[in-house]
Amino acid sequence: MSEGHQSSYDTLKSKKSLAEILETAISFERTARDFYSDLIPKVSKRIRYLVEELAEEEQHHFDLFTELKSRPDIDQQIHTLVELPASDKKFSDAILLPELGDKPDDQSVLQYALGREHAAMEQYHALAKSSPDGPIKELFLFLANEETLHKNQLEKLYYETIHSGGV
Amino acid sequence: MSKPIQDSKFSKQSTQIEHDDAGSILSPLKALQFFMRKPVTVPLEPRPAADNYRGFHLNDHEKCIGCSSCQKVCDNAAITMVKVPHLPEDPVKGIRNLRPAIDYGRCCWCALCVDICPTSAISLSREYVHTCTQEEIDSYFILPDETGIHGEYYGEGWQKSVDSDLLDLKRQPMTELDPEERIDNFNEIVSGYTDQQAVLEASRCVQCGMCHDACPTHMDAPEYIRSIWQGNLEEAVRLIYQSNPFSHVCGRVCTHRCEDACSIGRRGEPISIRWLKRYAMDSVDHQRIKEIAAEGKADYLSGKQVAIIGAGPAGLTAAYDLIRKGHQVTVFEARKEAGGMPRYGIPEYRLPYDMLDRDIDVITSMGVKIQTGTKVGIDITMAQLQKDYDAVVLAIGLHLGRSTRVPGADHSQVFKAVDLLRQTTDGEKFKTPKQAVVIGGGNVAMDIARTLARQQKQQFGEVKVSVTALEDMAHFLADPVEIKECREEGIDIYDARGPQECVIEKNKLVGLRTWKVRSIFDEQGRFAPAYDEQDERIHKADMVIEAIGQMSDINLLGDDLSEALEWQRGRLSIDQQGRTSVEWLWAAGDCVNGPDVVHAVADGHRVASSIDEWLNQQ
Repeated sequence: MSEGHQSSYDTLKSKKSLAEILETAISFERTARDFYSDLIPKVSKRIRYLVEELAEEEQHHFDLFTELKSRPDIDQQIHTLVELPASDKKFSDAILLPELGDKPDDQSVLQYALGREHAAMEQYHALAKSSPDGPIKELFLFLANEETLHKNQLEKLYYETIHSGGV
Repeated sequence: MSKPIQDSKFSKQSTQIEHDDAGSILSPLKALQFFMRKPVTVPLEPRPAADNYRGFHLNDHEKCIGCSSCQKVCDNAAITMVKVPHLPEDPVKGIRNLRPAIDYGRCCWCALCVDICPTSAISLSREYVHTCTQEEIDSYFILPDETGIHGEYYGEGWQKSVDSDLLDLKRQPMTELDPEERIDNFNEIVSGYTDQQAVLEASRCVQCGMCHDACPTHMDAPEYIRSIWQGNLEEAVRLIYQSNPFSHVCGRVCTHRCEDACSIGRRGEPISIRWLKRYAMDSVDHQRIKEIAAEGKADYLSGKQVAIIGAGPAGLTAAYDLIRKGHQVTVFEARKEAGGMPRYGIPEYRLPYDMLDRDIDVITSMGVKIQTGTKVGIDITMAQLQKDYDAVVLAIGLHLGRSTRVPGADHSQVFKAVDLLRQTTDGEKFKTPKQAVVIGGGNVAMDIARTLARQQKQQFGEVKVSVTALEDMAHFLADPVEIKECREEGIDIYDARGPQECVIEKNKLVGLRTWKVRSIFDEQGRFAPAYDEQDERIHKADMVIEAIGQMSDINLLGDDLSEALEWQRGRLSIDQQGRTSVEWLWAAGDCVNGPDVVHAVADGHRVASSIDEWLNQQ
């Protein structure tokens, strides 16, 4: 196998269709939603609001991404290959469910949620950067913005919860 | 100043009137010279007067804070404070939406209102003519603003000057131990006022009452300050005890919101209200204080019993109020001794525990029983308390420390500040670090840093403690005095540093790695830290102490009660009276309203009042 062949193979491996990327993103939101939903009855009632809000937020993102995928302007681009960024592995790993124990506290839940939002934010920013101008880039920028907004909200909540006397 | 008149024709001698002298017989003829001349009359239109004239009042509504000092000083009762609804009102900042209205039927233009005004908002104008018909007689009662009585500005006449200012803007200095005198011991730093200093300080007060409005428990500070000034210290204590049974504590470590609102602080140094309270409390014999506190206590038993969980300021204030109303009160305290966070969170150089003991002794002398070393949830359940008592108060404070959970934070040489402070109070030995780094910028961070500094000085002869905080110095949460004293004691403070890792080499903690915080808050003022990863620093340490936040240990509630209770975003949901969603349970103090001793006292009063009302209906 020549070096040229190897290079072509790597290039092909480093790209995914927009359909695959959106499917991964939808899967990312779905697993998170289910994870938080399952967690709701397990955590103390004191912090249940937090897990309920996270589940709602992920449901909102799930609906949003599903709707985006079926939009006509995106549908036309659905087979376009998009170069995968270095953050892809980290992003894919974040789909996996974490070990927070049977009764995680508010800090564990918040740290996990922050980590996920950060991975997603980085992923969509990187995808937008590697995409040519047009609807696909705009789509990734929109997704990146959504994740950034949520991450910012969580960071504020983290500070208010952990750094301010706990009440 | 007007010049003395020199002309001899106006001399005292020449102006004497000969009353018997009827004058010349030609006088009537002389008067004829004025016949047909245009009469000379002074017009009744407004017009300006001399530069320093005491004309009608002007009031700069932007400067005026509605403190009512002008009204209080007015001997003629010519001033009425009028509510102006569209103006801002914020008791915590010392702003009322009241403004002085002047009754010129009473005003004597003495200008004491100008001379006492703490903000210099009031002056007198150079306009001095006002007349009206009988129908407009109310126009002599005006709400002055910047423009003047007729809406036309003639300039300021009499106004506040250095000579006429009635306020003393400098507070009496407080004697404190020098850094070298205090760094190797836990002796109290502040000495307290002498009799003379206290009277002089009390004499600065204008009795406006802004402090009363700002205080969470609405202490009658103007009244007890007046009593101190009059030398009636027992009356001062009586007034203090009307709203605060933790007065030795609050006289030393209160967050003194009252002083932030003090009207004298607008141009000068606010009255030292906290130190005056301390002076009054320290000056009266403890036995006499107990007698004063017991005045008005119910001479009957209601037959109702109340359990209080937590013997801190909130719990014991509630206990004090309830026992005064004839209810039997038992306080359950998990720690070895009563006192809550003032004992287990505040070092003795700020609050000697024998002073805290005096406050507690007053409360127990009234009949409150305190069961120390009793852990609710372990030694007795909430269900048992519900069964045995008519009402239960949860006043459990914030005794659990939060962790950053950065890598390495679970190392055995990483501690939480609240745990070390508790161990220090209980006399439990722990190995003093040779070099320590504290994470946090609040008062708890300062308390543990200064505690360790003293231990280091005693054991090693030198201080090696650093404090790192996310906040920059402009946003530090600690009291500025704490920061100043920290530095005086040789503690290094690194602001705007974000902890990234507790550095561990060969299983030994060697330091804390931090990044520079470029910004910490977003445009809405909420947390959104941005770091400069290039600006990294390793703070060498063999102990890292986290002092970033605290929370309540709610495990004592148990699963069933936790489920039955309503919560509001992580807090126990309570109504305005401090009652939870469960009929028999109230909550008060730090666990529901955040850490602050005087707020806890106010909370204690609130729940006691609510419980008493409820018990009386049973």
